[in-house]
Amino acid sequence: MHNILLTEKSVSNILPAMIELKSVTKKFGSLVAVDNVSFSVGTGEYFALLGPNGAGKTTVVRMLLDFTRPTSGSLSVDGLPAERARCRAAVGYLPENHRIPTNLSGWQYLQRCAKLIGLKHDEAEDQCMRIVELIGMQGREHSKSGTYSKGMMQRFGLGVALIGRPKLLILDEPASGLDPIGIRETRQLLESLKNQGMTLILNSHLLSEVEKICDSAAIINHGKLMVRDKISSLVKDGDSLEDVFVRLVKG
Amino acid sequence: MKVPKVFTPVIRIAQFTIADEIRQRSFIVMFVICSLFIFMVRGCYQGDYRLDGQEIEAAKIIIMLSRITFHVIAGGMMFLAGLLAMRIFRRDRDDGTQSFILSKPISRRQYVSGKVLGLWTLLTVFMFVLHGIVFLITSVRLNIVMPEYLWSSAWCSINLFFIIVAVLTLSLMMPDVAALLCVVGIGIIGVVSNAFSAVSRTPIGQAILQHSQSDVSMWQVIDYAWPQIAGVQRFAVSFIGANEFGVHASVYPVINILAYCILSGVLLFRRFGKEEII
Repeated sequence: MHNILLTEKSVSNILPAMIELKSVTKKFGSLVAVDNVSFSVGTGEYFALLGPNGAGKTTVVRMLLDFTRPTSGSLSVDGLPAERARCRAAVGYLPENHRIPTNLSGWQYLQRCAKLIGLKHDEAEDQCMRIVELIGMQGREHSKSGTYSKGMMQRFGLGVALIGRPKLLILDEPASGLDPIGIRETRQLLESLKNQGMTLILNSHLLSEVEKICDSAAIINHGKLMVRDKISSLVKDGDSLEDVFVRLVKG
Repeated sequence: MKVPKVFTPVIRIAQFTIADEIRQRSFIVMFVICSLFIFMVRGCYQGDYRLDGQEIEAAKIIIMLSRITFHVIAGGMMFLAGLLAMRIFRRDRDDGTQSFILSKPISRRQYVSGKVLGLWTLLTVFMFVLHGIVFLITSVRLNIVMPEYLWSSAWCSINLFFIIVAVLTLSLMMPDVAALLCVVGIGIIGVVSNAFSAVSRTPIGQAILQHSQSDVSMWQVIDYAWPQIAGVQRFAVSFIGANEFGVHASVYPVINILAYCILSGVLLFRRFGKEEII
């Protein structure tokens, strides 16, 4: 049997919850993608959702965004039920396979996002310019997205997630397609956002990056929550997060 | 006038939808072809019409011609509405637009409403421009001003709305082309039942049907309850040259299609509410 370490209370007691999952189960036909999962993430916490492929991480993220509804249980974001659109005002989201319609440039895409969340013209221009700088895409922002590499798409995706100064960032494999410099820049950006009180939910297979960025982590396998604790508590005695991950997942 | 907050994202999504459609090369090609077709028809509005050597009153011929052109344009636009609507959700899903929009504080109803509003506005304006060209040709070349032509165009936009909503709803339940064909089928059955019902009301038709012992009432019920797409067209066209012909069609088809618009709209909201966003 897997070694299940649930010390969630010790973590969540510290901060008010930004997200909360209560006994969440999601079934696709006979397949149980998420099985009775409960945990919460506090405000300002940098949290990693880890697990092997098909473990149910993306399903959890999709339920938080109301892209799919749980079969049972409940989820809340920023104190509101996840199915309420208003709760997503606090959320910036970068999907795993981020795409930009080929007829749009990165700039137009950012502008669309700014307009959708109701920013005024000047404010939208300001934020978009600031974000283009932040993601290091100056000079390429007006090119059509068809000319972008996967890494560039990912950078614009991160930019879109940051528009409107969200309180919670949900990043699904943000390093996908990024070169080592891009990965480093993303990490630095996330570290700077941490100082501003941002909450992060990071879904990644790059465990070395997770170890550097996040405060706490949960490991999911076969839809079940195996462990949820502070990274400093999980990683002990010269182990790495990868060692802990392999030990827990492989049993 | 200040727009209520709940409608702001709907209007934004509608604007994005219009911009995306206009940028499609196929849409521009379609618009150019349609405009050229209308300009080519302008030759019909010239010259004298004679039957058995007798000159026929030009105004009546022109009104008849205008009515036919009106039907052709409206019919073409309904087909185009189906073509554009059938792929709109799939394209949004494939290029990530759907998850992009719905990860923002925008409800699924606002997203769907924005899509419908955008497509409907675009096609209504498109149809209005084409009808407007015919209106201009008749006004300039023959000094016959028919402002009712433009009113009729506005009435026909109800059909466009129904087709967009129906195709969008069906495209969530079946392949895109099947959704389009289903709505085309609804239109064809409507025309057939309409024609059958109209013939059955004539003395000759009644005599034939009595002789063949066919069930007339069934066709009349279908004609009454089926979406009256053709009926709305007939109603709209009846305004054109009403002074000459003096016949106004029944308003029932408009009520019928509006009821179907509401029904399809409710179905669309419910169905999309259960959709898995990818």
